[in-house]
Order: sequence, then structure tokens, then C-alpha cells
Amino acid sequence: MKKNNFWSPYIAGIGLGITLLATFYVVGWGLAASSAFSLLAGVGTREISPEYAGTLKYFARYLNVASPLLNWVLFEIGGLFLGALAGSLLSGNFRLKFDKASGMKNGTRLLTAFTGGMLIGFASRLSRGCTSGVALSGGAQLALSGWIFVIAMFISGFIMAAFFRRLWS
Amino acid sequence: MTAPFVLTQDISLLSAVILGIFFGLFLERGGLGDPHKLTGVFYLTDFAVPKVMFTAIVVAAAGLHVLSDIGLLDMSRVWIVPTFFWPQIVGGAIFGAGFVISGYCPGTAVAGFASGRLDALVTLAGIAAGSLVFAVAYPYIEVFYMSSPMGKSVLPAIFKVSHWQVIAILAGLAVVMFLIMEIFERRRRLS
Repeated sequence: MKKNNFWSPYIAGIGLGITLLATFYVVGWGLAASSAFSLLAGVGTREISPEYAGTLKYFARYLNVASPLLNWVLFEIGGLFLGALAGSLLSGNFRLKFDKASGMKNGTRLLTAFTGGMLIGFASRLSRGCTSGVALSGGAQLALSGWIFVIAMFISGFIMAAFFRRLWS
Repeated sequence: MTAPFVLTQDISLLSAVILGIFFGLFLERGGLGDPHKLTGVFYLTDFAVPKVMFTAIVVAAAGLHVLSDIGLLDMSRVWIVPTFFWPQIVGGAIFGAGFVISGYCPGTAVAGFASGRLDALVTLAGIAAGSLVFAVAYPYIEVFYMSSPMGKSVLPAIFKVSHWQVIAILAGLAVVMFLIMEIFERRRRLS
């Protein structure tokens, strides 16, 4: 195992919890992530074909506003990138690489990275959010949504991992 | 003045960037930009994900209800994540599969990309593509998407107990879970 200089997960968890609490306090909603990429998909579709984007009822929620890109979650994701970049650079943890399980071919990894992402993108829309918007934020609100999502996610993840051991282990 | 606040668009977007920076910093420093650590929980090798996640949930839940109880935060103006029972069960299950296959979730993929992982950028493209698939398929799945609505259901109301009883149980379960995870990780290091 290679050495790493990550913080204790409990310290990082306390920091993340305080950040989430500050978000509820200041703006009145929680942290989020997946909707930024759904919004970008909607804006991207409209750039390529405004007529087709107009027929997609689901994307209307992002596109029927004055400036779709002036979106809270999108700016928060910009901040997330900067914060993680600062953390990895300052700790010497930044490495340009194509990360994968040892022994996996690059082509296979390209496929798993993309198809896994597609499942996540689809599932996040169905669930009204992801690990951030539903699990973390809903969980902290003691909302049923957050807890049923977390339980379903872990059960499914354990089953997947049992059948596809070579994906990561 | 009681929180949450009514902000101008400029201040709101500025708050998004600042809060996002801390979000990203703690994710990356907690090791959650690394897909090996992220998937470790599913292979019972590394429990960084549940440790960070459940610590954060308990801290934020306790803080939220303290602020609400002492009147500094008006909980009725906090947007509660709505429950759609079956869509969120099915969504969570599909999400778990995507998590193990890609090695990331949306926020952690951004943290992974920010720490130099180009595969995380591929996953982010996949997430956008999956969102587009959802939007295209929406007319066919809208009935299921809107099914089993339960509104702002929260555990204390469902179990007819106080929010502090729920938080105490969650905190207790988290501590027991963390102890078991520490024993598991120690065994692996020794073996």
C-alpha cells in the first residue's frame, strides 16, 4: 500500500458537517452536486439544437430561467473544484493520472468510468439528487429521502462489488 | 434576524463558491477524491466514505436542530429534500452500481479530477450523458418518477419521537459502526 497524507476521516467529516450546517444556515438548503451536470447537459443540448432541447420537458427547469449558468449549485461545484485543487496541491497529493484498479486496461477503465457515470447521472435525476443533495443533506435533515437512498445505495454497492471484485480490489 | 437569509443573486453565488471551496477541501483531504478509497467500503478494505459521511451527517444534524431549537434558524424556511419512496429506492440502487463501476459519485468525481485524475473527468462526462438520457426518457418514466410521493417526511414524525431521540440513536449507531470499521481495518493491516 502506498503512503498517503490524508486527514483523519473523522476530522474531514466534522469539517464537512460544519460546511453543510453553514450552507443550511446561510442559504436555506444543503450541499449538492449532480444537478450541476444535469444543468450543463441541458445547456449543452440547447447549444447544439435549441429546437430539440425545447422538446425535453425535464430540462425546462434549468432552461426556462433568465441566465441558466448563474446557478447556485454550478458555482458551488466551481468552488468544490478549487477547494479540492488547493487541498491536493498544498498537500503534495496532486498527480496527473488515469486512475484505475491495478491490471485494468485503459480501454476498460474508459468504459467503466463513463458507463458508471451514466448510471449515476440517470439515478441522481430519478432520486432528486445524489450522495450530496439527498444522502448528506437529506440525511442531516433526518429526511426519509436521504436515509432510504443511502440504504439502497450501500446494499446495491455491496452486491455489485461482490460480483465484480476486479473493478477495484 | 433569523436564518436562512434572503440574499441578492451576487451574494448567493459568492456564498456558493465559498461553501463549495470548503466542501472540496474536506472531501479531498478526507481521501474522497481517490476512487480506491471511495470504493473501499464496498470491498470492506477502507471505510473512509462511511466515516466521513456519517460524521458529517451527525454533526450537521445536531447543529441544525440546536440552531432551530434556540430560534436562530427557522426550520420552516429550510428546503427539506422531498421523499418519493420507490423512485429513491430504485435510484439509490442504480446509483450504488454506478458508484462501484466508476469509482466515484458526482461531488467526489469533481474532487478526483481536481487532484489530477483524468478518469474522473470521463465519469463527469458520463454523469452529464446519463442526465441527458433521463431527460430524453422522461416522458416514459414520468409516472414512476412522480410515484409514491411522501413530501417532507422526516424520521421523527414517522416514528413519533423527538428529533433528539433520532439524532442520539444515529450518533450511537455511527459510533458502533466506526468501532467495527476500525477493528476491520486493523485486522487487515496486521494480516
